[in-house]
Amino acid sequence: MTDPTAKDRAARIPSPRPPADAGPCTDPAPTTASAPPPDVTPPDSLVLRTGALSWLFPRRGALVAVALGLLILVLVALGTFASSTGMGFAETLSGLFGTGDPATVMLVQDFRLPRIAVGVMVGAALGIAGCLTQTLAGNRLATPDIIGVNEGATAAVVASVVGSSTGMIGEWWLGPVGAVLAAALVVLCAGGAGHRGHRVLVVGIGVSTVVGAVTDLVMSRQNDNTAGGVFLWTVGSLSGRDWSVGTPLLLVLLFLLPFALAAGNRLQLLRFDDDTAAGLGVPVRRIRALALALAVLLSGAAAGVGGPIAFVALAAPVLADRLGGRSRVPVLASGLVGGALIAGADALGRVIAPVEIPVGVVTSVLGGPFLLWVLFRPERGTGRR
Amino acid sequence: MLVAQETGAPVGGTEPPPPRPPGPRRRILSAAVALTALLATLTVLSLLVGTGSSPVARAWDFLMGDPSARADAQLRLAVLDVRLPRTLAAVLVGVSLGAAGCLLQAVTRNPLAETGLLGVNSGAALGVVIGLTYFGVRSSYALLGWALAGGMAASAVVLLLAASGRGAASPLRLVLAGSALGATFHGMTSYVLLSTQSTFDTFRYWTIGSLAGLKTSDTYPLIPLIVIGLLVAFGSARPLAALALGDDGARALGHRPGLIRVVVAGAVTLLAGSAVAIAGPIAFLGLLAPHAARAVTGPRMAAQLALSALIAADVMIAADIFARVAIRPWETPVSVLLAFVGGPLLIWIARSRRLSTAGGTA
Repeated sequence: MTDPTAKDRAARIPSPRPPADAGPCTDPAPTTASAPPPDVTPPDSLVLRTGALSWLFPRRGALVAVALGLLILVLVALGTFASSTGMGFAETLSGLFGTGDPATVMLVQDFRLPRIAVGVMVGAALGIAGCLTQTLAGNRLATPDIIGVNEGATAAVVASVVGSSTGMIGEWWLGPVGAVLAAALVVLCAGGAGHRGHRVLVVGIGVSTVVGAVTDLVMSRQNDNTAGGVFLWTVGSLSGRDWSVGTPLLLVLLFLLPFALAAGNRLQLLRFDDDTAAGLGVPVRRIRALALALAVLLSGAAAGVGGPIAFVALAAPVLADRLGGRSRVPVLASGLVGGALIAGADALGRVIAPVEIPVGVVTSVLGGPFLLWVLFRPERGTGRR
Repeated sequence: MLVAQETGAPVGGTEPPPPRPPGPRRRILSAAVALTALLATLTVLSLLVGTGSSPVARAWDFLMGDPSARADAQLRLAVLDVRLPRTLAAVLVGVSLGAAGCLLQAVTRNPLAETGLLGVNSGAALGVVIGLTYFGVRSSYALLGWALAGGMAASAVVLLLAASGRGAASPLRLVLAGSALGATFHGMTSYVLLSTQSTFDTFRYWTIGSLAGLKTSDTYPLIPLIVIGLLVAFGSARPLAALALGDDGARALGHRPGLIRVVVAGAVTLLAGSAVAIAGPIAFLGLLAPHAARAVTGPRMAAQLALSALIAADVMIAADIFARVAIRPWETPVSVLLAFVGGPLLIWIARSRRLSTAGGTA
């Protein structure tokens, strides 16, 4: 890893940016200056022109997206197949496509598929949210859980358990509501995003610590059964999730995705310092606020449905960055990687042991080594880290 | 200010020039003195108040060497056997976490790094859970050993991974290796806990963090570790300051960035591991203290370390005193009070000055 601060200093005085090795931001892909006029097309894109309109079509990005989409489909098929009832693979597929006998179709489509679909959506939401916050702050540690999303969701769930007479966990929508409330509290306390969104992140740590402490205090007065039930929730699990939570989550995703893609596009320009970005016509403050709000909503919805599943929001953008080339913000790829991670982890959790292992445990136990394996493999001469 | 056109002298000419703001050196020194005085006060206070029926005045007499008070066995027990160990432990934990957090944020150039980043906390938790589940450990002293061993082992694995191969020990490698393996250990802990209910109940109380029930002898073995960690910390202040210039800048000054990072991370492991072993996983203090210190010192590394350690010790003792008196006669978990004291403090710091990220000193 060559340290780019020297380059920075030559290009810009003073350099308010953290060095690139603190996060996903590096200088845009080098342009190959050939004969005049210089060809400034990024090496991984096609230029599509019609008259006055032109569009940079991300060749590599599109390829990565298609490949990831196929991978998710394969993982979904494997996930429906992976379970304890002895159903053959061909039979599972016939159930998936609705061509098998009615019982099989019902079993696959009404019981197994919804849960896996919910998992993919939760992963996608976490991946996109993580990509937005990491890019915003230029810091790999800036994941949505830092801004109190998980603590808020957990606090709401704990409140529902404590408030009820039965000790059962309340409605699923409590989680997202708690998450959004906590994040709103963070934004209120921060009174502005601050430089690169750092103020929000640091305030977020403070607020989420306090919220988490309140939860701990309440939990320490509960009996062990209740505590155990809440603990299971805080690990993150998809068991028993179906379309009743899947449909709202899908709507949220579909509604927010265009905004997220647009925000990602603009965040690219925020890799420059604010003045440069403003000069390029980026409404800096508005884009920051939008990216943060999107991250909160997406990760809040995910935490509410699946519990605070660890590590996906941190790992997915890193992996997507590695796959898709560094010249753009990999919003879509992060979402797809997140979906694939959770689909794979959920399938593994159901076959790896006689009892089902919650997806959150699998993502954190295996996600870490997987990420390191991808990142720290001896590279083939790209010279990038 | 209105200025006369011709001479450039201030209009009126008689008013004295405004007092110059104190220089950074004086500001740091006065902050250090104030924090040390506060630490002394809190230490005495920590010996005076607490559970039990002994009034504060009697405890004061005891400290002052009043013979009748010295003869009071109950008072002696309260002050020397209950409060003194706790006070010592609070200072040790605070100083360790403050210094460790400061080092880690400097080494990773990441203001969001906290002392759990190298996997120390998750490793300690895993060690405790393994000790509870598979070895039937129940005494606090044995748990301390398991936590220390787990934290050190985890951190060693992270460091080995981060320091191997190409781009050895770059800040990003440290951060990612730490987060990734931390998540792994955390997942393993969850798995063991989900499969054994009996462990969970004990672990719940360990994970909340507390200084209650410590004996002085429990912390003795850790003191050398903490001292070594602090010596390395202060010894590496200058190389770390060079690292803030970026790796190339540090090399130009004759330093070896990769080596510095591994050595400093080792010191962080000693400090954070000892702190976790004593008080459970209190990650937050190691994040808060460097931010507070930087608000005073700016980028001066040695001053930052010292103030960070002092601030953390102050906050820790204060939180522990509150923990004893908040809901008498019960103990409140110290991590909860740390959050209540430290959370607002961190928010205030973040709001009160512009957090610059230049040079990784955020």
